[in-house]
Amino acid sequence: MEYLRHKNINVRKIHNKLQQKRNLQLENIRTIEEINEKIRKGDVNVVTAEEMVELVREKGSTIAAKDVDVVTTGTFGAMCSSGAFLNFGHSDPPIKMENLTLNGVNTYHGNAAVDCYLGVTKMHPEKPFEYGGGHVLEDLVSGKEIELEAAGYGTDCYPRKYLKTIITLQDLNQAILCNPRNAYQRYATATNGRDEIIYTYMGKLLPNFGNATFSGSGSLSPLSKDPNYETIGIGTRIFLGGSIGYVIGEGTQHSPTNKFGTIMVKGDLGKMRPEFLKGAAFTRYGTSLYVGLGIPIPILNEGLAKKTGVSDEDLKTNVLDYGIARRDRPVLKETNYAELKSGKIVIDNKEVSVTPLSSIKKAREIAKILKEWIEKTQFFLTAPVDRLPVDTIVKPMKVVSRIPFVNEIMENVVTCNLNDNIDVLAKKIIDNNVNHIAVIDDNDKLLGIITSFDITKAIATGKKGLEEIMTRNVITVYPEESVDICATKLEKYNISALPVVDRSNKLKGIITSEKISSLLGRIGLR
Amino acid sequence: MKVELRFSTERVSEPIISSVILQEKAQINILRAQVSEDGGRVLLEVPDNQADEIIKAFRKLGAEVIVGKIIEIIEDKCIECGHCITLCPVNAIFFEKDYSIGLDEQKCIQCDSCLDACPTRAIKLYGE
Repeated sequence: MEYLRHKNINVRKIHNKLQQKRNLQLENIRTIEEINEKIRKGDVNVVTAEEMVELVREKGSTIAAKDVDVVTTGTFGAMCSSGAFLNFGHSDPPIKMENLTLNGVNTYHGNAAVDCYLGVTKMHPEKPFEYGGGHVLEDLVSGKEIELEAAGYGTDCYPRKYLKTIITLQDLNQAILCNPRNAYQRYATATNGRDEIIYTYMGKLLPNFGNATFSGSGSLSPLSKDPNYETIGIGTRIFLGGSIGYVIGEGTQHSPTNKFGTIMVKGDLGKMRPEFLKGAAFTRYGTSLYVGLGIPIPILNEGLAKKTGVSDEDLKTNVLDYGIARRDRPVLKETNYAELKSGKIVIDNKEVSVTPLSSIKKAREIAKILKEWIEKTQFFLTAPVDRLPVDTIVKPMKVVSRIPFVNEIMENVVTCNLNDNIDVLAKKIIDNNVNHIAVIDDNDKLLGIITSFDITKAIATGKKGLEEIMTRNVITVYPEESVDICATKLEKYNISALPVVDRSNKLKGIITSEKISSLLGRIGLR
Repeated sequence: MKVELRFSTERVSEPIISSVILQEKAQINILRAQVSEDGGRVLLEVPDNQADEIIKAFRKLGAEVIVGKIIEIIEDKCIECGHCITLCPVNAIFFEKDYSIGLDEQKCIQCDSCLDACPTRAIKLYGE
């Protein structure tokens, strides 16, 4: 009892000390006004986030906080949630644009007569996966001529019905890059457990964990350096596309509770540079835009020195199997940005080549440019006029009718062993009224599949052994995959059934095209 | 070194490569071969010290021989993300220390794997 009481006191003491230390860390040692004054005088101390990591590692956060006024961050990644509001001015006679394309790419024009929003993922209908909204924005910023074609239904005030012209960025009244969701705090690493190549928004993923990709710049990533959004908020002035932009709120799908925060940003497209806004094309996925974005973080207290000093090793993320096309993809393992930047990760006891889809070199360049702007009195810091939410989560979509998954609709499968003879198989087919028999080993692992046609053919050609007639490279599905995947595979490979196996190739059931047809028929009737 | 041969459709069926192997007593490695409606294209690895003679011999037999660049990364377009690195089966593309993209042209076997994966379409194979 005495011992316990003593221990309790100790625990309380330690707790108090920690609390004191924490309070000390949160105590502000400088203000944004003071930093701006230093910028004006030319004696501000700015370091990039990578330099800050080294400084904190070498000298500790207390000294780093005293020495450093601002830490600059940067990221350069494909940000699909990007686009621009454009205003073209009026033609004479004027038109209320109903269908508007820019270099053949459709824009959204559900606002006033000559306004539009051009989204970066909108693809050119004749050049899909090659040219899209992101490329139009890059071309605009590069000063290239853009073909504008518009049709309208004609009104009393806007009588014109058709218009074709050539414009450049200079000809527009406003061209405002306005991205609803940019700069993910961190992102998952993608790999592919399927036995075929898949093309995703995380790039081309080779079969059987043949490669992996990740996004985000790790220790340079803006939001991971201010993870509680103490200095990044509404009104924060940032580097955007090679010019100045602003944070205008939390991004869509902002999910601070699990460190997947995002921001909504805007900036003047007219001042941006094509090196920092690059159109992108992901084969069989779509188009996008690489956006260069950097945020200066004022070191107001020691806590911020510590947070901006967080290293790649400390920034964790999960490796996901994009081979399973579900909302929640299976987590294969946890990794960190240091491991990812090393170029190799181990998945399933196999060394896998991993590289970013975003550019670390460009991210570094952005943090460096931002540093120079501040040092050269070209960029001043802003205090946020409001905080970003810190307690929200991303909800899944509410769906009233649901698509079934393989494990819910798979049927029992009739099986046999390699040494069974054809007569037994023929009888099994008739007795069970099926067309497919799975060949398994003693551990239920799938070896091949035999159809009623294979049996007929065997009899016609006088073949006896199952080894001779079975199909070995069987196309399979996993229990957690959706019916859509089954339908796609049946069609793609022109087959009539898919054995269901688990990760160790153990047979679980079968999905037949008859089952899929009857199911789709039922959904269709509803 | 690597050389690329191109044959017209008429010559596709002639045993040009084996003739040169026998004639020059050279160890020639076929890295990639493709025959289509516009003729044949073969990527070969030939011994450096016999290269001149081998190229002459191929030309004599009516094949077009292309020596030199087989792959190029267009600098203006490349954003140096590195996605191509994970797709290259022969490590011809790699990161330099500063995360620039490095290219060892001699290693490239023109497998095409990186081409459709490059998000900015910055990789070009010669003769495509």
